[in-house]
Amino acid sequence: MSLVEGQATKPDRARPPGAPALSVRDVSVTFGAAANRPVLKDISFEVREGEFLSIVGPSGCGKTTLLRLFAGLMKPTSGAMFFDGKPIAGPSRERAIVFQDYTNALLPWRTVAGNIALSLERHVPSRADRDAQVDALIAQMDLGRAAQQFPPQLSGGMQQRVQIARCLAQQPRIMLMDEPFGALDAITRQTLQDDLLKLAAQKRMTTVFITHDLEEAIYLGDRVHVLGANPGRVIETIEVGLAKPRNQLTTREDPKFLAHRHHLFGLLQGH
Amino acid sequence: MRFLRNLAPPVLFAAGLVLVWHLVTDFRLVSPVFLPSPGRAFGELWIRAQNGTLWPPLLATTQRMIVGWFLSSLAGIAIGAAIGLTPMVRQLLEPTLEFIRPLPASAMIPVFILFFGLSEKMAAFVIAFGSIWPVLMSSIYGFSNVRIRLQEVSAMLGLTRVEFLQKIAIPSAMPDILAGMRSGLAVSLILAVVTEMQASLPGLGHDVFLAQRSFRSAELFAGLIMLGALGVIINHALQLAERRILRWRPQRA
Repeated sequence: MSLVEGQATKPDRARPPGAPALSVRDVSVTFGAAANRPVLKDISFEVREGEFLSIVGPSGCGKTTLLRLFAGLMKPTSGAMFFDGKPIAGPSRERAIVFQDYTNALLPWRTVAGNIALSLERHVPSRADRDAQVDALIAQMDLGRAAQQFPPQLSGGMQQRVQIARCLAQQPRIMLMDEPFGALDAITRQTLQDDLLKLAAQKRMTTVFITHDLEEAIYLGDRVHVLGANPGRVIETIEVGLAKPRNQLTTREDPKFLAHRHHLFGLLQGH
Repeated sequence: MRFLRNLAPPVLFAAGLVLVWHLVTDFRLVSPVFLPSPGRAFGELWIRAQNGTLWPPLLATTQRMIVGWFLSSLAGIAIGAAIGLTPMVRQLLEPTLEFIRPLPASAMIPVFILFFGLSEKMAAFVIAFGSIWPVLMSSIYGFSNVRIRLQEVSAMLGLTRVEFLQKIAIPSAMPDILAGMRSGLAVSLILAVVTEMQASLPGLGHDVFLAQRSFRSAELFAGLIMLGALGVIINHALQLAERRILRWRPQRA
């Protein structure tokens, strides 16, 4: 673990916390000929260095589209996006994405260790170094007993851990997560939420987390962007301001948490 | 014990079939000129095993089959990958392939004889020509169904084109490729035999052909038994290899 942590704080990635890591200016997306019904319309905001930003919204508001734009998997119809001051031109190892559908995103013919190694093979040529990094990630993500198993043999929660480990292996400067816990049961989900928060705090990892679950957005986030649908746009931003580390019981009972929940619930009622 | 219990019924069925065969010949329901008794057919095999004439034709046919199959598998996978992964190549090649595909490989024997004479090279091309279709078709299917999500993962991890092919596309298409190769091997055996008959190349097919011409029915059936056994053995060998290569797949009941 110390190995991975050590690399996460390379001097070239030292940016002041709070500085804009990713910025979006007037981004709109329309699919095909439906020019009068954009999926996203005039989106502008910044993701700050080291922050955990939740983006919440009803289905069809273009949350996933937004994340795919950040990843570089698609291009906006208009507007500009910058990561670290440079325009986003396509996918890059600096930006990792965790997909919701872990069964499709993992290679079923590779073991857990093999799946994690996939993102290292060309970049860490030494077998010993690579194995050491993979082992560290396996330990960090609590995958020890599953290292030599194939993904279809694992529970959903374990498979999602593998995908997160693979993303960490590429040592990204930002983690993009597309409803990563949406398909998991409540208990697994809470465990993964807390593990993710621990990870983000340890590495001061800049994270954009998409969800349709209000409580999840508040529980995890430093800030929450609320997206409205038709067209998709930011309708509200809240600073969460809840104490860290968060706690599944006390945080969720905190009056501030409940106030946020009421507020966001009201906002999304109209959509 | 369970293994034995599973094995018993099919073995008994086959033994029953041989018994019927024996009775048919014993009661002279068919002339021994056309149908030898199982005793004579298996006796012929025994004699050949003793004097060493059993192996050369078996080896020759097996070798021809494997060489042709190897060529067709290699070409089939390569062309299948090109077509399955690049729509442009698909557009370019598909009409031509649709034209060539229905041509029976046996009809191509004269053409290949013209080019290569009565040679092993000719046999290899005939066999490859006929056995490429199953592996080509299933490779196209396999490569064109690589999950989009995995293409995105590959892009995000910055894999090169070659890495994508080697680490994602080929393993992803592997179940289809192997199924196609297995059908292709069966076709290879058929075409090895046909080519031998047509071009008088030494092998099991040629032996069977000669035995029929001189009404040596025991030899004819000995040859058929060997061809059948060869088919069973290669099919099992491939199934074993397949299970090993695809061991990551959840076992089906």
